Amino acid sequence: MNLMANILLNVIIAFLVGSLLFGYQRKIMARIQTRPGPPIIQHLLHTLKFYIKESTFPKTAAMPFYVAIASMLCAIWVSAVIVGPVIEGSLLLIFAIYALHKIVEHNAGSSSGSPYGKLSCVRAVFSAAAEVPLFAVLVIIYLKTGTMVIGEIINYQTINGPLIYAIPLAAAMFFVLILSKAPYSPFAITKGKDIISGYETEHFGVLRGYLMISESIAWYMLLWVFLTVFIGGLSPIGYLIGMVAISTVVAFINATTPILNPNHSIMMQVTFAFIGIVGSIILILI
Amino acid sequence: MDQTIYLIYIVSFVLGSIVGLLFSYKKYKLPFVSEKFDLVAIILSIIGWFLFLNSPLISFIPSYISITIGLFLVALVVGMRPGYGRYETLTGFIISLIIWIIRTVLL
Repeated sequence: MNLMANILLNVIIAFLVGSLLFGYQRKIMARIQTRPGPPIIQHLLHTLKFYIKESTFPKTAAMPFYVAIASMLCAIWVSAVIVGPVIEGSLLLIFAIYALHKIVEHNAGSSSGSPYGKLSCVRAVFSAAAEVPLFAVLVIIYLKTGTMVIGEIINYQTINGPLIYAIPLAAAMFFVLILSKAPYSPFAITKGKDIISGYETEHFGVLRGYLMISESIAWYMLLWVFLTVFIGGLSPIGYLIGMVAISTVVAFINATTPILNPNHSIMMQVTFAFIGIVGSIILILI
Repeated sequence: MDQTIYLIYIVSFVLGSIVGLLFSYKKYKLPFVSEKFDLVAIILSIIGWFLFLNSPLISFIPSYISITIGLFLVALVVGMRPGYGRYETLTGFIISLIIWIIRTVLL
């Protein structure tokens, strides 16, 4: 298939599946809380709705930075799709994209001029201090497989079996990272309801649409990386089942756990990261 | 080609959900309170799940077409107004699953 067509196909699949998984998550959470919940398609409709809404810009916004940063978030997750499912490139690039995501979260909050956005911007820096060590899971994968290239990690697993059995603590670390990016998660301090919608508070219309598209693609990509790196190359049905299973577990955790205080959230993530890194290295050495 | 077909399946599911939502809001004016079965929804759900899970049984249509139609019908019922379509989905799924088990395990 033509490369451009392949990219387009994968980006559309990532967006649609990510949106449906978010909707599914909300449905599961609602059922746990004995509410009917919105339809599964709600998150997707919500995203599309913003493209037909009027786009307004706050007077306090730092233009053109305010507009550029929302578009950039979309662009970096499209890049993640290219590095991941399309070319099966290096995990280091995915790590760089995730680090950029944290910077963009920070800047989206500060560029709007809203006090809620600014609080979220500070929390984004806080959470980066915990989430980036969680992404250090890559080092453990490298120590185990001797490579960072996704295609080669898939081949390694075909010969030696899924990495989730060999380095389970690393998989647990990555799962905590995934949990941190889920809406309503105990670690979602950048979008806690105490600061309205966090860094998205002053983004309306098309810009909000960009942010929501990026979130859906980001969710799909994080799940894709988890399944590919710890279980191996799966069929599309395998990926779908895996993504639905992880989203269900995350929904259960989110529905039953309140959002943590920012300090507690960071300390907990750092503790997970510490136990994960040290434990995995000990397991590899043994 | 594989991915293109999966994209078609996803789009079919999304379209089915949208149509189901619009259709159910027109049909049911009240929030979900009574636990009555909707005969039309049950029929659609059974056909949808049957086509989705048992497409090899319908040999005169390529399987990707029957799965696409099946997913559209499944989504039509799943995507109905909150609360509606749950029992109908479960009924359709169980009947199709029994047929699938008979087809793949017992025969």
